[in-house]
Amino acid sequence: MQWLYLYFPSLQLDSLLNQQAYHQPCVLVDKNKVLQANPEARQWGIKIGTGLAQAALLCAQLKVIAYDAKQEQRLLLQLAQRLYQTSATLYLDPPQGLLLQTSDMLRLYNGLDAYWQQLQQPLKERGLNYHYASAHSPLAAQVLARVGNDRLLKDQRQATKLLSQLPIHGAGLEYKLALQLERLGLNTLGQAQALPRSALGQRLGQNLVTYLQQLDTHSAPERSAYRPPEHFRQRLELLYEIEQSTALRFPLKRLLNDLEAFLGPRQLRVAGLSLGLEYREQNAERLHIGCSDGEYRGEAWLALCMLRLEQLQLQAPIIAISLNTKGQMPWAPLAAQLFEPPGGKLTPGQLISRLQNKLGDHAVQQVYLRDDHRPERSFYQGPPHSHYQTQPATIALRPSLLFALPQALGHKPNHQWCILSGPERIQSGWWDNVSICRDYFIARNPMGQICWLFRTPREEWFLHGYFS
Amino acid sequence: MVLLQLEKERLIWRARQMASPDHRCQSSFYPNLDAHLQGGWPQTGLVELACGPMGIGELRLLLPLLAQAQSRLQVWINPPAELNGQALAQHGIDLSQTLLIRCQNPQQALWSAEQSLNSGCCSHLILWAPKLTAPQAKRLQVSAKDNQALIFWLNSQAEPSTSALPVSARLSLSPLATGLRLQIHKYQGQWPQHPCQVDMHALWPSLTVPSHRPTHLVKAPINNIVALPLQLR
Repeated sequence: MQWLYLYFPSLQLDSLLNQQAYHQPCVLVDKNKVLQANPEARQWGIKIGTGLAQAALLCAQLKVIAYDAKQEQRLLLQLAQRLYQTSATLYLDPPQGLLLQTSDMLRLYNGLDAYWQQLQQPLKERGLNYHYASAHSPLAAQVLARVGNDRLLKDQRQATKLLSQLPIHGAGLEYKLALQLERLGLNTLGQAQALPRSALGQRLGQNLVTYLQQLDTHSAPERSAYRPPEHFRQRLELLYEIEQSTALRFPLKRLLNDLEAFLGPRQLRVAGLSLGLEYREQNAERLHIGCSDGEYRGEAWLALCMLRLEQLQLQAPIIAISLNTKGQMPWAPLAAQLFEPPGGKLTPGQLISRLQNKLGDHAVQQVYLRDDHRPERSFYQGPPHSHYQTQPATIALRPSLLFALPQALGHKPNHQWCILSGPERIQSGWWDNVSICRDYFIARNPMGQICWLFRTPREEWFLHGYFS
Repeated sequence: MVLLQLEKERLIWRARQMASPDHRCQSSFYPNLDAHLQGGWPQTGLVELACGPMGIGELRLLLPLLAQAQSRLQVWINPPAELNGQALAQHGIDLSQTLLIRCQNPQQALWSAEQSLNSGCCSHLILWAPKLTAPQAKRLQVSAKDNQALIFWLNSQAEPSTSALPVSARLSLSPLATGLRLQIHKYQGQWPQHPCQVDMHALWPSLTVPSHRPTHLVKAPINNIVALPLQLR
């Protein structure tokens, strides 16, 4: 089996600077020691392991960022998620390494070089510094990558030769163990490999023997390979605080692009997004943005999100945003008419989602029928595209415009009114305490409006609707 | 050559075209209105209907058309009262293709109208709005034309706005016992016309009275003797 190891010595720093396009000396510091430094900082003579005080002395305008192990872990996961598009079997090696099994992929890419070109693409996009090496065993690849071998070794003998020439301190052994070996007079790894294992084990402990064995073990590491998550979930920490909701457009666009890259290859779409806004001094808020048809394109989601965000008044500056998905479903091409009229840009579902996100869910409705003889209850308005009944409950003529509350007429229709039909008695609803007893008339009033009137048993007259 | 092309696409109107009916019309399903408008409602564009008080029959004028054309969505924006689903279903309107939008302010109503038209999935739009300015009307008109949609703008003015709004047609409605009286103030591509009476008795027999037929059209029996039809002789 063939293995490729990718080593990212300054993963967190590179990602941060790439986002910000920052070109000043900048270092990542943990426990007062420089952990990662960008090339501009190195020019000032700052090295890895330099103390913070010394680094500050070397360069006055140095930007110092705290190291965050969790963040680096997250970045490594994101990177794995991206590389998974190219390579099927990969293992995370926290904090800064990725191990890829190449032998299975070579047939697909027609050789190691083409495969490597594919892999380099996402790394270059992200502006990452990396070292790499390929070898016959996972550990050999790791050791070679960490010393900066940066070569694709196709032959096992080549790798073995390189390994045997490695100085004992650069072989990835514990410092104490390496020191012990050095004191024995073993300056290269090859010298240690040449000694009988059992004797080494007795004198220097089992760890060294395991290490030497693993250098030649071709099989996969014992931990399980990376499996991409089934649901999209991402959080973006903003480098600057955002105080206007419309300014969220740009960070949001990045998240949505990642969403598209996540959903596209899986042939999925989602029916809703949950956008989390984390405020500086307040509890986080979640916005729900829906699209009934389901959507995977980042651009379409951005338009929907912006409709909602435009109306949002931020209570405090935002420091981070996160994105979760809801209602994942397989992508299916929407049935389209062959001869559909030009300009069919949106589906009804997309239009409804757009309207709902701007006007609120209650502003966009559809009318549904119900089997009830009481006119107010014979139909209702509900969210679009749910179940519906299409069979009218009655065959008697009904007005097209109906008042939700009947309006008192105040008087009996006089001779100027022309009764066209009636009475039609509706007496119903004794079972749910909203019983009515009304005699309905259709009448034309002096203004020419055709009204739907009713009379109660107490001789009160009401206007209930118009035959508009 | 260019002129021919423009004429073919009906972008140029010549006075002599009056006689030839425009085939790019949709029937209103009222025969006398279709005859009067030389084909019916325009295929696309903005039609202003000045209705006066609501309930005189303005929707009855449109329902037969809406019941026939249901390949795409029909959007109703800000109706003055609840839309009775039973009545719409009775007249053959597919409620699953009907969308009802209620907006807080006129700006939002116009925004939703424009969005619905621009989506391309809406064939007819009925908008209740008190007033439109010329730029607003122009935007709706252009959106409707670009997306093959027809928008009816209903307002409660007795007479249509006098200012020259860029609309495809402008009509004012007044009630009659037989149906409606339509005054056509503007109809793109046609000369101004005298008012037209829409007879609704055929479709709504219980709401309207039959129109009075001129006596000379009905053959009065002479001496109560009726000629036997030829086939039965």
